[in-house]
Amino acid sequence: MWFDLDGLPVCFPYDAIYPEQHEYMGELKRALDARGHALLEMPTGTGKTAALISLITSYALANPSRPLRLFYCTRTVHEMEKTLAELRLLFSHLPPADACRLLALGLSSRKNLCVHPQVSASGAVDTGCRRLTASWVCEKAAYDRESATPLCDYFETFDAAARKGDLALYIQPGVYTLADLRSLGRERRICPYFLARHMVKHANVVVYSYQYLLDPRVASIVSSEMQKDCVVVFDEVHNIDNVCIEALSVSIRKQTIQGAKGNLRHISQQIDRFKATDASRLNAEYRRLVDGLAQRGNLPISDAWLANLALPDDILKEAVPGNIRKAEHFLTVLWRLVRNLDERVDTENVVNERPVSFATSIYSLAGIETTTLRFLYDRLQSLLLTLEITDTDEFMHIQKICDFATLIGTYKRGFSIIIEPYDDRMPDIRDPVIQLSCHDASLAIQPVFNRFQTVVITSGTLSPIDLYPRLLNFNPVISRSFTMSLTRDCICPMVLTRGSDQLPVSTKFDMRSDPGVVRNYGRLLLEMASAVPDGIVCFFVSYSYMDGIVSSWNDMGILQEIMQHKLVFIETPDVVETTLALDNYRKACDCGRGAVFFSVARGKVVEGIDFNRHYGRLVIMFGVPFQYTLSKILRARLEYLRETSQIQRQAAQCVGRVIRSKADYGMMIFADKRYSRHDKRSKLPGWIRSHLHDAHLNLSTDMALHTAREFLRRMAQPYDKAGSSGQTEENLQDKARDAMEM
Amino acid sequence: MYGVGGGGGGFNASSTASGRRRNQEEDEEDDEEETGDGRVLEAWERAYADDRSWEALQEDESGLLRPIDTKNLVHSQYRRRLLLRSAAAAVRIQKGLIRYLYIVIDLSRAASEMDYRPSRMAVVAKCAEAFIREFFDQNPLSHVGLVTIKDGISHRLTDIGGSPESQIKALMGKLECSGDSSLQNALELIHGYLNQIPSYGHKEVLILYSALNTCDPGDVMETVEKCKKSKIRCSVIGLAAEIFICKHLCEETGGSYTVALDESHFKELLLEHAPPPPAIAEYAAANLIKMGFPQRGAEDLISICSCHKKIKSGAEGYICPRCKVNVCELPTECRTCGLTLVSSPHLARSYHHLFPVAPFDEVTFKLGQKGGQNCYGCQQSLINSDSQSNLHVRCPKCNQHFCFDCDIYIHESLHNCPGCESQRSFSS
Repeated sequence: MWFDLDGLPVCFPYDAIYPEQHEYMGELKRALDARGHALLEMPTGTGKTAALISLITSYALANPSRPLRLFYCTRTVHEMEKTLAELRLLFSHLPPADACRLLALGLSSRKNLCVHPQVSASGAVDTGCRRLTASWVCEKAAYDRESATPLCDYFETFDAAARKGDLALYIQPGVYTLADLRSLGRERRICPYFLARHMVKHANVVVYSYQYLLDPRVASIVSSEMQKDCVVVFDEVHNIDNVCIEALSVSIRKQTIQGAKGNLRHISQQIDRFKATDASRLNAEYRRLVDGLAQRGNLPISDAWLANLALPDDILKEAVPGNIRKAEHFLTVLWRLVRNLDERVDTENVVNERPVSFATSIYSLAGIETTTLRFLYDRLQSLLLTLEITDTDEFMHIQKICDFATLIGTYKRGFSIIIEPYDDRMPDIRDPVIQLSCHDASLAIQPVFNRFQTVVITSGTLSPIDLYPRLLNFNPVISRSFTMSLTRDCICPMVLTRGSDQLPVSTKFDMRSDPGVVRNYGRLLLEMASAVPDGIVCFFVSYSYMDGIVSSWNDMGILQEIMQHKLVFIETPDVVETTLALDNYRKACDCGRGAVFFSVARGKVVEGIDFNRHYGRLVIMFGVPFQYTLSKILRARLEYLRETSQIQRQAAQCVGRVIRSKADYGMMIFADKRYSRHDKRSKLPGWIRSHLHDAHLNLSTDMALHTAREFLRRMAQPYDKAGSSGQTEENLQDKARDAMEM
Repeated sequence: MYGVGGGGGGFNASSTASGRRRNQEEDEEDDEEETGDGRVLEAWERAYADDRSWEALQEDESGLLRPIDTKNLVHSQYRRRLLLRSAAAAVRIQKGLIRYLYIVIDLSRAASEMDYRPSRMAVVAKCAEAFIREFFDQNPLSHVGLVTIKDGISHRLTDIGGSPESQIKALMGKLECSGDSSLQNALELIHGYLNQIPSYGHKEVLILYSALNTCDPGDVMETVEKCKKSKIRCSVIGLAAEIFICKHLCEETGGSYTVALDESHFKELLLEHAPPPPAIAEYAAANLIKMGFPQRGAEDLISICSCHKKIKSGAEGYICPRCKVNVCELPTECRTCGLTLVSSPHLARSYHHLFPVAPFDEVTFKLGQKGGQNCYGCQQSLINSDSQSNLHVRCPKCNQHFCFDCDIYIHESLHNCPGCESQRSFSS
């Protein structure tokens, strides 16, 4: 349908539009008009993506003088595919004359795009690809045709086409998902990864993971082509600050140091070999470094793997210090650094230092200057290229250490170095670690805000919405939170404060190990397992609490009773194990056996996984998930921020994953007596609070069970799919006319 | 058929009879209220746990509690159903009149839950009984079999057959529950039985599912695919909540999936399955079916019936016209020669599904209106002292007015509009 939004004709691919989508588009248009940044919160399942892309595309079409390009950053490959499907639907509704001018494509890593039969089948796609496509491999093959150096045919086609400049012939305007790119690659025998990377320059819409923009190591390869007049959208980014921080945080363990030593030995062998056979190469590198880093830019496309960190421009223009220009000298500096770190990590007590003091101590103990530290990362890249090393994974350790050194050398504020002799959870096991943690989320994202005219940050949960501009240090022109207009009461939040024996339940420290509380929590889960179909997700406050409570449930026999109704799956810190558990959890929900998934509110593994539809009919939040305030890193960060208000965000995110569309429904139980207090409750997002009836604020287990049964029966009734909340084209026109008359 | 005077009178009589029949159900509930001296107990005097007196109340706009107006509620529910059905019937849809239906009753642990009174199992059995009677009433050419799920395995209670009494007797004798429930086992069992059904018959499964999970020995998805391939229409009525696998099953096989809110809603949902569903598209090609119309045997003929292997006199059974064997009841399939045996009234009674009476329009009574004072069916006055219910219905064809009771009776039982019929006899 087409409608008019403040003078802009907008094409919307559906027959009806929800009022909140209409408002959302209005705000977005204002931000585009003002060429400023926007922060928009709208509950999941209201068609954010559709509203966003249809408005921006329509805006670009209506203003041909201002060629607007859209970079849409998603969190996962799956979300990327969903967005592209939405784009395809939109394009099919556009007039053909417009649609044939637009190109939209998804960009992902080699792992997801490779079509080379052997390489894509092997585990290490990146390494395999480099082995076949690195510039010196190609040169060698061209120079010495008889030796039959293996090459990638797909890349060769790309290379030939790129040289002739007729790559545009390979790709027609339209929407290309990752699967489309792969099949195109197979059909035309051209490498989809490099083709996509090349076409980013010409595409109107690019959908990719937000690592490409935020992680400075990846960003500079892919995203450097973007001009100022791009619109960048970060979708589903409720934890964008964490992503930014992680992008600039490094932790070094004992294994890393051991690995780095091994790498250094390997490198020195390589250097000796090169000296014997091809000394000119090392000399060429030396001369290049004398000229300065600024000229690094003209390396062939396939060689540029990990570029520099977010370095200020002035550093790039400086020349590499003399004492690390020669390969052997550089190597000795690295040896000194690694040995120094090795000594530092062997500490008995926790150390918390600022980067400046840490750099000074490195200078006094190992004799490496701060300016030298700053260049280590780039110098290593240059050396690895010179030595023709393709196996990036093997040299990960030494890279990490150089990364660490460069960050220390570059930033004086916003970081701290924490050395811990053992993990807090397991004080008996010695596992020393040096952590360089970034506290300032704005460091990684600042270049993005500066470079692009409009950055839109949008998610289902951004509350408290005024926190984000401060965390990320930017000034949005629009910052708004929308509520969902639901066709029915499809979420049912409940606050459970008492067990069936009327005793209060809580995970407060003095109560959490009380057997009565543990039993009440167990009975709650048991009763719910017998009344709720398919999937139940339980969130606990921490791994240690979960381990404790699950083992006491096992002793009480509650776990066995639960197993009669549903299978039980548990999240562990191990990624592989948890992925397997999640897979089986889904299977159990699909085939009707029913399952319970135990997870941790701040668990890294489950973060970003949706438990929508029958995968999560009920979410139980056992306790209030506070940030783990005993963690050294967090404490340091809090000191930096003087900011504590993100505690409750976690609870909202945990429970918010139940609903992903309007047809969906789900229940949430907040099982802790502290939730009945207003100050805790008020931090939940508005769309949950608005469904939290007064009658559901202080329930006991049996009352909650009754409510749950009623709710599930009510939700299972058929309902009007079209929904009274949707508005059709005519409605909107009427509305516009009314507004005119007024 | 109907004479002007006599026919109308006859109709009156039957209408009150039907009214009595329907009232009987309500009376069953009312019986408990009446104590020895005939005084009706007030809501607060009843035992609250058994009676759930609070469920008979509803909140109005101003927050006051009012007793639910059951008559209007029942009628509005019925009308919704009728309109739904007639909307489907407006386009001439071919209907499967010869149905082979297996009713699956879940007797797993969950069936003993007490959220329905006295237990889910008892409610299911009671409603299933009513359903079987209604089913044979509406589909005289069809067959029903019963399957139960208990302890994770499924068990065939009765062979597929045409007699309501034997089915009900078998069901009532087997009411106990335990163990898990398994959808796959039940479907596999039924799939085995229904595969032998001749191609003109419509294979259906109706699952009354109390449990919220299913413990299957294998991949239930494969079984769903199998059912889909052999065109078994599976419908599920859940008693507790929506389950993904049931929804999937119904979507795949073209059945309907509903979840009951309470006992009366459950009954309503169950009875929705009584009228024949639209035929599956692949069967739309018409084919001829060989049928026999057996006659009642002569009084003096003594023979052994083929169904019970008992000696019967001819008057108790029917004689197959092809092989002359004695069968006890119709409709059935001859044991000896496999001929479908029906009686002509059975066929005639199935006929109305194809040409249903149009739904009546709801009209509000206007003062001073002529001719609409009394119900055309039962001659009761439509003007009530109770000002709320001066709503009534009118046949769109003959413009005669009817009361709610007659409306239900005409559409559910009579399948002819007395107004239209008498007009036709006038003109002819």
